Amino acid sequence: MKTEVSFTLNAGVVVAELAGHELLIDLLRDRFGLTGTKEGCGQGECGACTVLVDGRAVNSCIYPALEVEGRQVVTIEGLLGPGNDLAAIQRAFVEHGGIQCGFCSPGMILSARALLDRIADPSEEQIREALVGNLCRCTGYVQIVESVRKAAEAMRSGGSGGGGA
Amino acid sequence: MSELRHVGRDTPRPDAAAKASGKAHYIHDLSRPGMLFGKIKFSEHAHARILHVDTSRAERLPGVRAVITAANTPQVRFGYLRDNFALKKDKVRHFRDEVAAVAAMDPDAAAEAVELIRVEYEPLPAVFDPYAAMMEGAPLVHETDPEGRPRETNEVPVAFHHVSGDIDAGRRAAKHVAEGRFSTPRIQQSCMGTAGCIAEFGGDGNLTIWAKTQIPFLAQRDFNRALAAMGLDGRNARVIVPCLGGAFGSGLDTHAYEYVAILLAHRTGRPVKIVYTRHEEFANLSPRQSAQVYVSQGCDEAGRLTFRHVEVFQDNGAYTSWGATYPGVMLLPATSLYKVPSIVFDARMVYTNNTYCQAMRGYGNPEMTWPLESNLDELAEAAGIDPFEMRLINCNEPGETTPMGARVTTCGLRDCLVAAAGKLDWASKRGRGRKMRRGVGMASLVHVGGSGRIYRSDASGIILRLDDFGNVYVSSGGVEMGQGLHSALTLGVAESLGVLPANVFINETDTATCPWDVGTHASRGAFTACNAAILAAAKLRNRIFTLAEEIFPAEIERNLAAYRSERPGYQPPRFDWRLEAKRDRFDLRDGMIFLKDAPDEPWARLELERLLRAIHFRPAGEMLTAEAFYDPPSDLPDWGRGRGNMSAAYAYGTQGVEVEVDVETGEVQILRMVSAHDVGRVLNPQTIRGQAYGAIAQGIGYALYEEVRTEEGRILNPNFTDYKIPTAWEMGFPIDLVFIETNDPAGPFGAKGVGEPGLVPTAPAIANAIYDAVGVRVRDLPITPEKLLAALADEER
Amino acid sequence: MTEPGGTQRPPAPAGCGEKGDPRLAPRYDYHRPRTLDEAWSLRSSVEGSRYVCGGTDLIVRMRSGRESPRALISLRSLPELTGISMGEATEIGAATTFTDLLEHPALCARYPVLAQAARRIGCPQIRNVATIGGNLCNAIPCADSATALIVLDATLRARSPRRKRDIPVAEFFLGPRQTCLRAEEVLTSILLRPPAPTGAGIFLKATRVYRDLALASVAVFLEIGPDGRSCRKARVAAGSVSPVPLRLRSVESLFESEGISPETVSRAKGMAREAIVPISDVRASADYRRHLTGVLLGRAVETLANRERA
Repeated sequence: MKTEVSFTLNAGVVVAELAGHELLIDLLRDRFGLTGTKEGCGQGECGACTVLVDGRAVNSCIYPALEVEGRQVVTIEGLLGPGNDLAAIQRAFVEHGGIQCGFCSPGMILSARALLDRIADPSEEQIREALVGNLCRCTGYVQIVESVRKAAEAMRSGGSGGGGA
Repeated sequence: MSELRHVGRDTPRPDAAAKASGKAHYIHDLSRPGMLFGKIKFSEHAHARILHVDTSRAERLPGVRAVITAANTPQVRFGYLRDNFALKKDKVRHFRDEVAAVAAMDPDAAAEAVELIRVEYEPLPAVFDPYAAMMEGAPLVHETDPEGRPRETNEVPVAFHHVSGDIDAGRRAAKHVAEGRFSTPRIQQSCMGTAGCIAEFGGDGNLTIWAKTQIPFLAQRDFNRALAAMGLDGRNARVIVPCLGGAFGSGLDTHAYEYVAILLAHRTGRPVKIVYTRHEEFANLSPRQSAQVYVSQGCDEAGRLTFRHVEVFQDNGAYTSWGATYPGVMLLPATSLYKVPSIVFDARMVYTNNTYCQAMRGYGNPEMTWPLESNLDELAEAAGIDPFEMRLINCNEPGETTPMGARVTTCGLRDCLVAAAGKLDWASKRGRGRKMRRGVGMASLVHVGGSGRIYRSDASGIILRLDDFGNVYVSSGGVEMGQGLHSALTLGVAESLGVLPANVFINETDTATCPWDVGTHASRGAFTACNAAILAAAKLRNRIFTLAEEIFPAEIERNLAAYRSERPGYQPPRFDWRLEAKRDRFDLRDGMIFLKDAPDEPWARLELERLLRAIHFRPAGEMLTAEAFYDPPSDLPDWGRGRGNMSAAYAYGTQGVEVEVDVETGEVQILRMVSAHDVGRVLNPQTIRGQAYGAIAQGIGYALYEEVRTEEGRILNPNFTDYKIPTAWEMGFPIDLVFIETNDPAGPFGAKGVGEPGLVPTAPAIANAIYDAVGVRVRDLPITPEKLLAALADEER
Repeated sequence: MTEPGGTQRPPAPAGCGEKGDPRLAPRYDYHRPRTLDEAWSLRSSVEGSRYVCGGTDLIVRMRSGRESPRALISLRSLPELTGISMGEATEIGAATTFTDLLEHPALCARYPVLAQAARRIGCPQIRNVATIGGNLCNAIPCADSATALIVLDATLRARSPRRKRDIPVAEFFLGPRQTCLRAEEVLTSILLRPPAPTGAGIFLKATRVYRDLALASVAVFLEIGPDGRSCRKARVAAGSVSPVPLRLRSVESLFESEGISPETVSRAKGMAREAIVPISDVRASADYRRHLTGVLLGRAVETLANRERA
């Protein structure tokens, strides 16, 4: 049984025909070729597959694809502005050593963005709590937390930059 | 040393923006035209004869293009001792054994086909306890050796020994002795990007394999051997390394799944991709080697170590990978951490029906430093000496040669110890926190800092090629796996050549285009690749400056004419440019060529790219390329005697930690940590910090949370639900990083390797702090709350 | 096999949230009814169907082959299950996500023990999708919201086409992953009484790392008198240490009859340890869980008592 759903994916509205069992991560990676979203565990444990649905971080590997109907989905690609402009949160991760192997980074950056869109000046505890569902094996999280702090500063003074969301 | 322009500056990684944008492509994201998806059927028994494999139903499933077993493929042997096979034929020796494999048009069909393969087994008695495996009458895991000769025992014939000084004299001279048995568990590397590869045979019959590997060239050698075993003599393997989602040692060996992918690709004539799910990664990828270690150390009345006796026993699992060589690295701390006049070191290992183990960051050093540094605190207590004092008393010094023969050039251990004690407030805290259940502890480390020679060549080759625009393209055999090699290389090339980092491009690691490199391990990436870069850059500069003798004067005359036309009346300073333009008088900085000691006029500089175009497009033009092959000044150790200067430099360090113990729950809270490292020179502050913090997180996992749990050979926690690695929350304590720059003569810009040291002493530092806090010691990692409570309860009795 | 340290570990029975290998991608239909009537109708007409809300546990179990319903009926967007209304009593729609709950200041202020439990569930990605109704109907022994709701004397409203019934939360759970809901019934809302002005609750959870299923959890709600010792009402529940989230009535009676003192707390801990039936699994041994329950109970009660005295 296939159902057609229409939803906003990054910059614009898209349409997809889906079977009931399809998961959001496969829809994004295989159908739309947005391979920035990574599968790290397939069990909702590691957060590498994090995307934003209506501004909230979700594990796309366990999110039924049909449920995006009428919603707004943002992937890591969606944060970029025209001409490859990095959003403030992406820029901060790049500048402050928040990225090493990079596999956890798309999910981590999106979780951070979801936090900063809600809390403009988060405490360190709030940052760590917001990222507790994103596992990283490389960085030890210290420079990730620093990147989020710096992004918050930048966003408070100059806006979030980027485009899609 | 003259001021450096790029090395030492806090610089974003060149690969970071792509990773932040979702534009970095890992194996998981790659696809080849016509690609099939491979999936492996693993054994359902820990030890059993394979009676029959029925693949008929799987073959008939729509979408399936091949089903292979050992029966319908040539035998492909692999492994350090050549005791493993891509597909198992007669029997399975642990749950991970690969019995069959499928290639199908989509992953679902492949998975379904694997389920349809029926294997008939005759279970055999299995052995999981390594001590039981050593006993007479234990079931034999391997009935024959790789040459077909019958085996009598399960003992693995790998020899690591060391004897130095006179241990009996050392024991007699000891006023105090401490001994103990310690153990470390199997640990999962837990890379966020799981293992995988794509194997593809080209029209010319040669193999290309995109692999998650740290050893592209040794892998090429292994895969060429496999091709020969498949009857494809003379065919060549090309190994390409895409962006990796971490490695931590898991890419230092070749794996059965890679050979399976090659067999499937050959059978189908199409590219075949195999990627492990997280469950497969936990259950079927070789973890860190576990170890059981007995240590005994003694000291005289003044606290000077008089002897050290170490015995290592390892569960080798069913086949042999690099876990069997951990004792080689263990030799280093065993012989060279602190000054010890008499040492006996022995290691034994035995086959069992458990999973077999491979390299992981530290590669035996954490396993050895755990007992040594825990035991040293116990010895210090017996001797009534403060543990910090004890370490200073026995501290290594620059210029010494250790009993193993390690020639220590620079050594910042004393500074690291002092820094750690200072930051921890050792003097006011040690021994004073019991009431609050708080304590401080420290532990030191020595690791290879100038690569570690484990193969007949420890070299790293590099090619630097300049284009028409002043860009330099770097082909290095080293592998970027998130540790920051590309960053180090970019800065190293920019610095040593004299261009801007933005003009440095690192090519993809590819055995077809890059020069040989033994592999990115032993914290050697930046050390060897940057040293090679410095050599190659010097050659390029030489050539550039030779050419500049001809090109420079004419070009700046042109510059001057243009300058003068805009500034009538301008008088240039008197200087005979043609006469002074000599090779040894030039310099190149940030892409600009100029004469040293010449008037610093804006028209008196020549862009490198103009020189390059000038020499390219003139008659009999030329393009500039230089290569270098750097092999560190070190020796391949005699492992049986435990002797050899295995590295060109040694990295020392000390970690200190303050903890608070919840004596009702057994939980340990880390209040603060200091990690002091003798790094030679910081190449890039943010990348070295990343390595240090990341290592600490792994060290904390090792100390408190992580363990691959098995029962009768079967893994009990093959997921992140039950294999807990630290999250951002667990790392929420203040960390002081101290980098001591000792400027090692062998290191590029003085730098030593820094990838592994950060997790080596973490566990003993924590255990030593726990002892200060509550007076008990756990000797088996991880220090779980249950174990700590049990130790506290024992203490009370 | 003997682990290092000498502790024998029995084979792990299926435990709380245990997951297997996501191998075969299961095939199933996924229905999104727009009304409760539609949901009931689908449930009775589609063979092998099951209700799902957030699915953060169910989808994982299905991907690993531990459950294989032929169809899922999503209750996520049903208007009858959404919304939080706060009058005298409070009604929380079953499809309320934990994030929605935590972002409702009045609800959190009125029932802090529930907010504390919600905050410790999973991580943001899970809380943004997992629902309180789903957490209850999934009925795993470590369900964090369950213990909090037990001590709040919550009532669960279940509706079927023909009937509506209100179930005291402590009676809702029959066993691991088993509730007293009948086949067509849908849990539509959670009803909470107006809070007692003199009462206060606390939720404590013991884990390996911070983000984790509970090894043991305890929720306590006490109405302590102005003397700081007498206890008019006590509600105590323990999670993850019995086949169901367990109300500890013996402990409640002890506090209500003899008040709060170091002596009664000590006895209460012993009673709690006796009342629960923890298992040993790869996460913790039964002994440790038993021990932890006592520790958490003591700490919970002491915290509430100290607050009262302050």
